[in-house]
Amino acid sequence: MKKATKPTRKAFSERMVEYGKDHTDFVVLEADIGYSTYTHLFGKAFPSRYFNMGIAEANMVSTAAGLAADGRPVIVSSYGVFLSMRAVESMRTYVCYPNLNVKFLSSHGGVTAAIDGATHQATEDMAIVSSFPNMKVLCPADSVSAAKILDLSLETPGPVFVRLMRDPLYEIYDDSYTFKIGGSHVVRQGSDITLVTYGDMVFQSLEAASLLEEKGISVEVIDMYSIKPIDKETLLASVKKTGAVVVAENHQKKNGLGYAVPHYLAKIDCSVPFSHIGLDDTFAESGDYLQVLDAYGLSARCITKAIESTLARKKKELT
Amino acid sequence: MRQISNEPMNSRIERLEAEAKNVRFHIVDMIYKAQSGHPGGALSATDIVTALYFDFMRIDPNNPSWKDRDRFVLSKGHACPVQYASLALKGYFPIAELDTLRKFDSILQGHPVKQKTPGIDMTTGSLGHGLSIGVGMALEGRLTQKDFFTYVLIGDGELNEGQNWEAAAAAAKFSLHNLIAIIDRNRLQMDGFTDEIMPMGSISDKFRSFGWDVLEMDGHNMLDIVLTLEKARLIQGNKPICIVAQTIKGKGVSFMENIRQWHGKAPNEQEYKQAILEIKGTEA
Ligand SMILES: Cc1ncc(C[n+]2csc(CCOP(=O)(O)OP(=O)(O)O)c2C)c(N)n1
Repeated sequence: MKKATKPTRKAFSERMVEYGKDHTDFVVLEADIGYSTYTHLFGKAFPSRYFNMGIAEANMVSTAAGLAADGRPVIVSSYGVFLSMRAVESMRTYVCYPNLNVKFLSSHGGVTAAIDGATHQATEDMAIVSSFPNMKVLCPADSVSAAKILDLSLETPGPVFVRLMRDPLYEIYDDSYTFKIGGSHVVRQGSDITLVTYGDMVFQSLEAASLLEEKGISVEVIDMYSIKPIDKETLLASVKKTGAVVVAENHQKKNGLGYAVPHYLAKIDCSVPFSHIGLDDTFAESGDYLQVLDAYGLSARCITKAIESTLARKKKELT
Repeated sequence: MRQISNEPMNSRIERLEAEAKNVRFHIVDMIYKAQSGHPGGALSATDIVTALYFDFMRIDPNNPSWKDRDRFVLSKGHACPVQYASLALKGYFPIAELDTLRKFDSILQGHPVKQKTPGIDMTTGSLGHGLSIGVGMALEGRLTQKDFFTYVLIGDGELNEGQNWEAAAAAAKFSLHNLIAIIDRNRLQMDGFTDEIMPMGSISDKFRSFGWDVLEMDGHNMLDIVLTLEKARLIQGNKPICIVAQTIKGKGVSFMENIRQWHGKAPNEQEYKQAILEIKGTEA
């Protein structure tokens, strides 16, 4: 896999500038972190369509609701912690409830803001925003998908939340891939177990799959970039084939993708061994990103362990 | 009762200026070693925070949770190296700990965390909460009939957050004269100058109209800082007190002063050496 030259936050905002040339209707609101989210590029290209609202996230999102009230598409930008929590009621009651055309550029998802500490780590964002009716939730894993998901979010009516990452990771896709609401991609085929993941954890999952291959374990990895709604078809087809599933996410375990997946499988009486990688009801802390991932059980190494123990349960059930 | 300092003013100012130099050195040093952190806003607040920790606040480094201590809330939590340096120099923890800033398992997190660092009265990092927390602490002081002051240091960009103004109204309503808000008026926020990103007009007028007593000072003139802080705690009113401090972001390191890019960036080796030379007058 090729090391990425840019983080998803940058790829998303660069595409925003390109897309803005042909689509002159949408506007962008920023909350004083435009050099970090790279929306300043849009501001430079289209000064009259760019509004820096200062450090006032709740005001920004309610303002977006006003701008979007007659249908105008609006992108609002900040870090995940502030968008999903500081502006949460504006988001729920004034954007999601009236089903307005507001897109959330939400950077520094999960513990990718590792070095800044827990105050800046968006580790409950998926749980919070996924619970709002009308909201769609996406998380690209690399810069190709980030750029395509910019288009997708603007072409999808209603609120869309896009989780982006602080650090450049790895390139997974080439330009031939397409992305849709409720879509996913099988990024590695396998037969023993299904590993469902998104965002920066796609790379950790692929690493884990490679490590396990050496032990003769064949892992199928699904990039569930559409966290709400999830791609049930691909999930079910894979689980039927493998008979076991692990969800790995850079998020609290509670109410994340690791709740949505088994909830769906249980509803259709598909009972298979299941494990969940995520923050275990704890705040993380400052430190090097990979070190923090490992310390909180989210690294490739930790995923391999979870897969092995899940496979052991699968064997037991079969005997 | 509180003692008025009987230290001769000259030596008091000299002592504090020397201490501020020391704090500046440690700010740059720890951010360099971490290769991460926010030097600009830490350096603009250095002289104020130094005066508070090394002169004004009634604190006991051996007893960080002493109920009678003055409280300090660094509402602009990203500037925490200034507080970490002050706490270490006061003896709350060994100075060597500063080398662990932002590293895994450190007591010094990227933003202040109450339960990890001795001497931190409240967790901060998400801007715009500190003044509300200060209102709560000042109310607690009243409930427990203690005479401690609560100092809250707030960024001028941070004042964009509407919650500050909710807190300002509450503090006035409850006549919290034991609450002192200090605004670090360095005229920069993250994306640029405050006047361009979100103009706040006259901060003094705003607080005054909310029912506060307002003082102004030069946040880098130690004599002015000492006289103003003295005045603030001697005011016999029933209003909360706001001090607007004119400051320079990056103060003390010429190439960082007034430059947006030094909001959240660590110096490289060469920049580090030059910064230390400027602060100490000798090589690192
Ligand atoms: C609620 C919230 N929004 C955004 C940020 C990101 N952020 C950190 S510092 C900063 C600028 C702060 O400006 P100011 O208050 O003037 O501080 P100073 O310039 O003194 O460092 C921003 C936007 C944050 N920490 N919290």
